[in-house]
Amino acid sequence: MTDSKPMDAVVIERSFDAPVDLIWKLWTDPEHFKAWYGPDGASIPVAKLDVRVGGTRLVCMEVQTPNGPMQMWFTGEYLEVVENQRLVYTEAMSDEHGNVSTDESAPPGHPQTTEVRVELEDLGGRTRMVMTHVGIPPDSPGAAGWTMAFAKLASYLDAHR
Amino acid sequence: MPTAIDDDRLTDTFGALANSTRRAILARLAEGAATVNELAEPFSLSLPAVSKHIKVLERAGLVIRGQSAQYRPCALDPAPLREVMTWTEQYRRVWETRFDQMDAYLTQLRNKEKDAREG
Repeated sequence: MTDSKPMDAVVIERSFDAPVDLIWKLWTDPEHFKAWYGPDGASIPVAKLDVRVGGTRLVCMEVQTPNGPMQMWFTGEYLEVVENQRLVYTEAMSDEHGNVSTDESAPPGHPQTTEVRVELEDLGGRTRMVMTHVGIPPDSPGAAGWTMAFAKLASYLDAHR
Repeated sequence: MPTAIDDDRLTDTFGALANSTRRAILARLAEGAATVNELAEPFSLSLPAVSKHIKVLERAGLVIRGQSAQYRPCALDPAPLREVMTWTEQYRRVWETRFDQMDAYLTQLRNKEKDAREG
């Protein structure tokens, strides 16, 4: 696996004490998906997952902020669907109707659309999972709230390279 | 693959950065070294409160204090920032948290099933 590891990607390998078909459901069944997908402190009020090649996904992530709840929407398309083995989909920020946000402020070299690959391997009751996330823009929600101070720090780092 | 030590350091760095006052202090230090008094000025914070934030930044290796007499100016050490500012590191943490939650959810499902069987 490591020799095909793309540049600029997050690759995470995990083993789960659960059969492969259950892990597959966790990725593809909206009710299961909502239960685990929200990053720290975020909930998933909406997950529309049309899991078939060419099918659309629309996911809403909600975080509580001092100014009330903030929603972020993500859309994408399923590119590969091989039950219990391989799931590949794209992801881009969008509005609640799935219209992809256009953001000209994204620096060059960082595509707005990213790709998530999930590979599952049946270990007889256990499951090995490799998740690869390729080409995530730097101003995506993971960086929300940090951007201001970071812009200054980034120019500092550039100057002190 | 990051080692456990790298991971601990990243945790320290992220902990230190998870506060808007400390990020603002770092942004100020990116413009040049400053004393604690100078750093406290833009904030409506007491000197001890600012000192506390600086200690957290120091522990995370983000700030180094000069030795010169009573002022001991603070300066930014950008090394740990280089690691966390790449999007891969930011997203790695998001995904790691998600998969921890996946694990916890699986345990939850297993317990429910067990209860149903035994109940």
